[in-house]
Amino acid sequence: MRRLVLERRMETPWALTLASPLLAVGLTLVSAVLVFLAMGRDPLEALFVYFVMPVSDLWGLQEVAVKATPLVLIAVGLALCYRSNNWNIGAEGQFLMGAMAGGWLAVATHGMGAGAWVLPAMLAMGALGGALFALIPALLKTRFGANEILTSLMLVYVAELLLDWLVRGPWRDPQGFNMPQTVVFAPEATIPLLMEGGRLNLGTPIMLLVVVLVALMVARTLKGFEITLVGEAPRAARFAGFDAKRLTWTVFAIAGGLAGLAGVLEAAGTVRMLQPGLSPGYGFTAIIVAFLGRLNPVGCLVAGVFLAITFIGGENAQIMMQMPLDVTRVFQGLLLFYVLGCDTLLLYRVRWVRRAEA
Amino acid sequence: MTLSRRNILLGGGALGAAAASPAQAQAPLNVGFILIGPVGDFGWSTMHDQGRRRMLEVLGDRVRATQVEAVAPPDFDRVATQLVRTGSRLIFTTSFSYFQATQRVAGQNPNVFWESATGTATARNLAIYNARFYEGRYVQGVIAARKSRSKTIGYVASFPVPEVIHAINTVMRGAWSVDPQMRIRVVWAGAWFNPGREADAARALIDQGCDVICQHTDSPAPLQLAEQRGNVFGFGQASDMTRFAPRAHLTSSVNNWGDYYVARARAVLDGSWQPTDTWGGLDSGMFRLAPFTNMTPEEASEAERIRDALAAGTLHPFEGPITRQDGTPVIPAGQRLTDDQIRAQNYFYQGIEVQMP
Repeated sequence: MRRLVLERRMETPWALTLASPLLAVGLTLVSAVLVFLAMGRDPLEALFVYFVMPVSDLWGLQEVAVKATPLVLIAVGLALCYRSNNWNIGAEGQFLMGAMAGGWLAVATHGMGAGAWVLPAMLAMGALGGALFALIPALLKTRFGANEILTSLMLVYVAELLLDWLVRGPWRDPQGFNMPQTVVFAPEATIPLLMEGGRLNLGTPIMLLVVVLVALMVARTLKGFEITLVGEAPRAARFAGFDAKRLTWTVFAIAGGLAGLAGVLEAAGTVRMLQPGLSPGYGFTAIIVAFLGRLNPVGCLVAGVFLAITFIGGENAQIMMQMPLDVTRVFQGLLLFYVLGCDTLLLYRVRWVRRAEA
Repeated sequence: MTLSRRNILLGGGALGAAAASPAQAQAPLNVGFILIGPVGDFGWSTMHDQGRRRMLEVLGDRVRATQVEAVAPPDFDRVATQLVRTGSRLIFTTSFSYFQATQRVAGQNPNVFWESATGTATARNLAIYNARFYEGRYVQGVIAARKSRSKTIGYVASFPVPEVIHAINTVMRGAWSVDPQMRIRVVWAGAWFNPGREADAARALIDQGCDVICQHTDSPAPLQLAEQRGNVFGFGQASDMTRFAPRAHLTSSVNNWGDYYVARARAVLDGSWQPTDTWGGLDSGMFRLAPFTNMTPEEASEAERIRDALAAGTLHPFEGPITRQDGTPVIPAGQRLTDDQIRAQNYFYQGIEVQMP
């Protein structure tokens, strides 16, 4: 008798780490072709509409950048958390909290003709709001040993309901026909656009700057080494004198701050108001981005752009090929499925063993 | 400055071309549709989808249609712009949640004709359209008063926008015309389409003693829940929902956008498109009431009589006297609310014990 077992690899070859997400993408593409064929569509045309059209002109590139910006910002912060074994699942809540903290200033100063200080202050408050909100699960973890997966996830609902209440109640636009939304932010509370005829705004350069800074921090600083070491070898990290609890506070604050910054950038840049549907699940999609990017800041950038392309490609497929929305959803599901599947095969070796041996 | 001048020139050129050039008329008109829910919601979005199909059926190869479903309001700008970029010249944005954004993109794309399903203002290239669904609500109120034993109507509402507020007011107008003791309870689902929350809302209402459920959300979930509970009745929304609740269904308001879409696409094709404000009643065919079910012949014939009177205009749901919840008079007897007053209705009537959320 022989059976199949998964055996943990002692060491994952470096090349495979890079190949895994590529393999996942490749398998998704193959599946996509099969789905298109089954639907009776030309697979080449469909793949073109999905993956090439979104990046084939300046307008499309701008839209991809706009969509990728919040995903990458959040994912970079989450990558730091996950590297150090801090499982922050609540970026969605930290994103919304940042949007609310920054958006409050926009609502409070609306119609007062406030000066240019408003926007920088909003960004700072957004980052601060997200960071403080993320410190709640950090506190609960370090002080009481509460599982941060649960606490951070539960706080997402708290943030969602708070936003819901604010835009239905105290912050509702008095001229908005009772729709649950704030006023449209005044120009001084809106992120400036960078190009005529598109929606690219200052958020994208900020995101790129963050990616560079975090990549440098991970690769070149002691703090970066500490984050990796605490995650991979907690005992060794203790011997080296690193304080795992302090690090939990640090990474939660950074991740929450970046998610909060993404939130206020989205509210003041793309949506220009607060409303309950502010985030189409950016905080959760960013978890996929972080893992697809192998918890590496630059990897997160690549993965975030890729996911943004599939999202906009899905809309294009509806527009150009009259394909239903469900097909897009199927692809995003398949991608995650293959990423996780491929990762399993990288971390583990599949082996046939004799039952007698086991 | 350059941008706006170029846009105006572009817009002027395109409008002129659509009106005059025969070459333009021969190329099929590309019509875009942006839907708030999935086409499979069996309600609001499904009926817009059927309107699109009807337009394709009637106008054949003179038109092409492009539809994007379940577009969240923050994604609206991108989808609308992409439709314009891929050649749509007439675009229907089918939710009030898109109205402000439609005003914005219509300004940015003056060479495209925009149509917003419900809205509060027109612009040079923006028309608004809606149906007088409140006429159906009045009939619902009359039927509910006949069917309810607890004398309490439950209302699954979406958002407290004027469209929903005046519908709630009108249901009660209809109910009070039969029995002044009728009361109403409202649960705000906070969504146009969310079957889970809609069912929860209906469950809460039934638990509070409501035995006729009206819904202002798009899925059949509230009606299905009424069916499951038994001894509770309900009304379908947007499409004929009889099959979802054969024992609970009383009637449905059945939307029909097809004829409107045909007329509007035709208007663009022959250059006669105008930024109109259309608000069609039962007589216009923009919606009808599905066959009455689970009613006695007397109840059904009364409902028919009321429906026909509304369609003929001999009965009007917004006749005075109208008094606000807090007792402030709005209009005295003998007067009638104007369309603009109905569209801006932001208050419940006296006797409706519901808090504005």
